[in-house]
Amino acid sequence: MNLDFSIVLKNLPLLLHGAEWTVMLTISSLIVGTIIGLVACFGRLLGGGLLSWISTGYVELFRTLPEMVTIFWIYYCFPFAFDLSLSPTGSGIVALSLFAGAVLAEVFRAGIEAVPLGQIQAAKSLGLSEFRIWYSVILPQALRLMIPAFILVVADLVKMSGLLSAIGVSELVYEASILSENSFRYFEFFTVIGIVYFIIIFPTSLAARRLDARFVAQRT
Amino acid sequence: MRVEEPTDRGATRPAIECRGLTKRYGSFTALSDVSLAVSPGEVVCVIGPSGGGKSTLLKMFNGLEPFDTGSLVVNGIALPNTRGELRRLRREVGMVFQSFNLFPHMTVRRNLMLGPVSTGKLKREEADARAEQLLERVGIRDQIDKHPGQLSGGQQQRVAIARALAMEPKIMLFDEATSALDPEMVKEVLDVMKELAHTGITMVVVTHEMGFARSVADRIVFMMAGTVAAVGTPGEFFGSACDERVRSFLSKVL
Repeated sequence: MNLDFSIVLKNLPLLLHGAEWTVMLTISSLIVGTIIGLVACFGRLLGGGLLSWISTGYVELFRTLPEMVTIFWIYYCFPFAFDLSLSPTGSGIVALSLFAGAVLAEVFRAGIEAVPLGQIQAAKSLGLSEFRIWYSVILPQALRLMIPAFILVVADLVKMSGLLSAIGVSELVYEASILSENSFRYFEFFTVIGIVYFIIIFPTSLAARRLDARFVAQRT
Repeated sequence: MRVEEPTDRGATRPAIECRGLTKRYGSFTALSDVSLAVSPGEVVCVIGPSGGGKSTLLKMFNGLEPFDTGSLVVNGIALPNTRGELRRLRREVGMVFQSFNLFPHMTVRRNLMLGPVSTGKLKREEADARAEQLLERVGIRDQIDKHPGQLSGGQQQRVAIARALAMEPKIMLFDEATSALDPEMVKEVLDVMKELAHTGITMVVVTHEMGFARSVADRIVFMMAGTVAAVGTPGEFFGSACDERVRSFLSKVL
């Protein structure tokens, strides 16, 4: 096999541009997803009746659908159904946000529900207000429990953003595809972006595991 | 709704008074027609077999457990009541739990300060001073800047007692405070409770420690199958002429 990694260096600006988009897509969908996730989580925990029903339905739907189906549906079908066309980037962010929201709603809920009932009873028995109980007792403990799972969701989003190459969003996978198609240097480009993904994601999952172990040790 | 306090007979009004309290979980009756009055300054121990409704009753006294029928007035506040009144009630009624329930993410100091500071009872510096003073009293002043996870069970429970006392409650409720402790740590917690009983605070103590009930209680309440089966002084309870069910229970635990 005759490898030539200099072609990667030559096209570095395009690849960097792709990496930039990967990060941008991840951050945007993480922000929107966090907002959706909070609404869905509290809709399920605190809202009664319809709100809880809608939140549960939303979470279950997007945890079941394959990512590609949602991405294609929003890009190709959504404009037909609602007479509103989104750019590839817009569709991509919407799709990723909907996924992130569904998964994060469950991450938030699991964290809150993992705070033992005795903690809430103790806080109530001191005569604390509802706000105080949430602010000083439930949320600080729930947040610690959530952080490791939250980091893993971020890692998943980085990976998932690659799927948006299928609808022409110029992120890392897309740039690598175009460059390799033109040069037939698939091996070089996909090896390099594989390494780039690894460099982005591995430290986060390592951090998640470390934090998890630390919080487990603290609780006992 | 608040029960107005008649100033001339405030001293004789019971600290806790319940009549006909009943609580059902589906077809299971947890409490059936429980009536009891606890006078200010009285130490009442509640004993009896597990599942007899002791803890359920205790948790009703600070509104942690709702009831179906009956009436309950604690420290002049009728239950059930609005959230605001319930908070006011809880600020006067301390509770110590079987599983300590200290806040694991805060130091011992902050555990003790949270209540008084966030309810506006004390300023930060005052609460801090009180925290130190209370920990001195329960004998673990040196642990003040540790997290609960670094303490032994007995130390944690003493912190929990201090945390409840930081609110300067008029009534203290103990829900099997020593049941989760290793045997060698039971004494240090009971000693703190004994010392507290002599200060004139009203105490309701759900316990399996017969020695404690015998030496500290003004009155003992024996609960079984959701009812108050017998009430009496320790002398009456541990003497020979008592209820058959009480004797049968005591013969098993003593």
